[in-house]
Amino acid sequence: MKYYVSVNGRTRIVHLIERNNKLVVHVDDQPFDASYQEVDSLGQVVIIHDGKSYGLSMAGDPNQVEVTLAGHFYDVRIEDERERAAHAAERAGGRSNGLVISVMPGVVVDLMVKPGDRIEKGQALLILSAMKMQNEIGAPVAGIVKELHVAADQAVAAGAKLVTITPNPD
Amino acid sequence: MFSRILIANRGEIALRVIRTAREMDIETVAVFSDWDARALHTRMAHIAVPLHGNLPSQSYLVTEKILAAAKQTGAEAIHPGYGFLSENANFARAVRDAGLVWIGPPPEAIEAMGDKIKSRRAMKAAGVPVVPGLVDPLDDAAAARKAAEGIGYPIALKAAAGGGGKGIRIVREAKEMESAFRTASGEAKSSFGDGRIYMERYLDKPRHIEVQLLFDHQGNGVHYGVRECSIQRRHQKLIEECPSVVIDDATRDKMGAVALKAGAAVGYQNAGTVEFLWSNGEFYFLEMNTRLQVEHPVTEMVTGTDLVREQIRVASGEKLGYGQDAVRWNGWAIEVRINAEDTANKFLPSTGTIHNLRMPGGPFVRLDLGMYRGMEVGVNYDPMLGKLIVWGRTRAEAIARMIRALQEMNVGGVRTSAPAALSVLEDARFKQGDFDTHFLESLNLDKENQELESIVAAAAAIFRHHKARRRALAPESGNREGWLDRSRRSLASHAQRSAEGPAPHQGGGA
Repeated sequence: MKYYVSVNGRTRIVHLIERNNKLVVHVDDQPFDASYQEVDSLGQVVIIHDGKSYGLSMAGDPNQVEVTLAGHFYDVRIEDERERAAHAAERAGGRSNGLVISVMPGVVVDLMVKPGDRIEKGQALLILSAMKMQNEIGAPVAGIVKELHVAADQAVAAGAKLVTITPNPD
Repeated sequence: MFSRILIANRGEIALRVIRTAREMDIETVAVFSDWDARALHTRMAHIAVPLHGNLPSQSYLVTEKILAAAKQTGAEAIHPGYGFLSENANFARAVRDAGLVWIGPPPEAIEAMGDKIKSRRAMKAAGVPVVPGLVDPLDDAAAARKAAEGIGYPIALKAAAGGGGKGIRIVREAKEMESAFRTASGEAKSSFGDGRIYMERYLDKPRHIEVQLLFDHQGNGVHYGVRECSIQRRHQKLIEECPSVVIDDATRDKMGAVALKAGAAVGYQNAGTVEFLWSNGEFYFLEMNTRLQVEHPVTEMVTGTDLVREQIRVASGEKLGYGQDAVRWNGWAIEVRINAEDTANKFLPSTGTIHNLRMPGGPFVRLDLGMYRGMEVGVNYDPMLGKLIVWGRTRAEAIARMIRALQEMNVGGVRTSAPAALSVLEDARFKQGDFDTHFLESLNLDKENQELESIVAAAAAIFRHHKARRRALAPESGNREGWLDRSRRSLASHAQRSAEGPAPHQGGGA
């Protein structure tokens, strides 16, 4: 099984082959000797590589794993070949649909755009108050504001629609 | 001495107070919101009283509920911790009016220090140094130049209606004043519709230095020396240490004496902290925090004093029983706050369920934690999950120990501020003591450790591979295993915490 593993934006190909109930690992076509053990079912693992021991902590989902190693944090994206092909097709189709959803529950403090506004990528759309903080929510793409799904002072749940943007054609 | 006290707080500080009370053979009463029914402080207290509700405004901030809990359980005194009601003079009064003891300063002292402008005026009157400057706006550049003579360069011109850095001009020499005044005034007018400008001394490379105070009810007071809290972001501290590389013993004693004068000026009792800005060998009063502070453990580690015990003791009417000579400092302590936030993504709050904890240990490592495995980190409360504190004989030893302890620590389920703290501690400038309050904001937290990325990539792929295979073998039971409640945090670059002054109440303190 081939995995395309991107760590902090740099992609490596990790090739895993099961041979006699043992996992043979290649990273970017180089053999990678690794004894891998799971400490518990909660994401604590230990790898011994080149005689050195590494205790790692894992959290996340099959496509996005958050790894902590020696106190530092690594944002890891994983795709197998099938997923990679599917994602590549998506990207080619420009499928950033311009829908902005709330990633956490909060209260809309202020709306900084209105329908019809032309906006830049990253431009502030609204301010969401959550966890005592005022969070500025920015535009994921450049385009035109199509619709506001919330009003000021409105409480929103995680996953709620905030704004729809019609992205600029590439 | 009391036989039972109530702690009107949650999280690590509630636990902190419970621990000392238990050591003093005092029974403890915890109060808890619905959300906190399984929290550590609820479990560790002798008695736990539900406040119901989830929001602070329904639970930890409701005076009537807390007083009723005290009455119902026969508690004799209330410790407010930090945040929540700790700096609420009306609450302190209500506690006293209910015939209970308030483990904190008199309400009058809270009020006197609560208003920034009034407290600065009072401090100026008491002879405590404040940042030199004018309260009233200036008429024109000529008036500005004249006033600057008395204040001393460099000068900061600031918009009277200002905020967010707009309308601020730094003037280093008199000849720059004319044009600086014109542009500052113009910018203030266009930004705020108000061109009025006032001035104060500009502090180059400011550092946050604070003095821990303790007063009994008989008028005796001592200082416990300084802490440095310059590693902060938008006034949210991340790393604190005791003492400070820029404060020698003579300066410490001088600042201690000034802080004691500030406290005495408002009739202070119990523990409190006077915060100063330090720049180029001068220090200026910033504000006084009329409560125990988050970072008090670094002072405890260096002075060998349990400050919560002292708080409880003096609140019960005992005299301090010692003078300034009895306070000694030994070695160096550092504290790192473990906040549920994504430091790689503009310090945005991170929520989720903590399902995977590996805690550091070993010599001279102290953990003051509110978090536990299974804890749900939501948005109702302050994002601080706890604090990691270490002691060393020297600063270098303490830094090495903290790096080691942070490397041992894993918190799975939410992102935390720990990796950012590690980046600070590993930075050569921090190690040399060369930093100021802008350091954290200027630090590149995205710098990557490529060396270990192959290990990380391989481990992540194998981890996923095993999970997928196990799930295929046991589809019923394996479904949720491992992939638990990933932290719901913001998509990179979509959001940013603009935090123009976070809400003042609740846990975080300062």
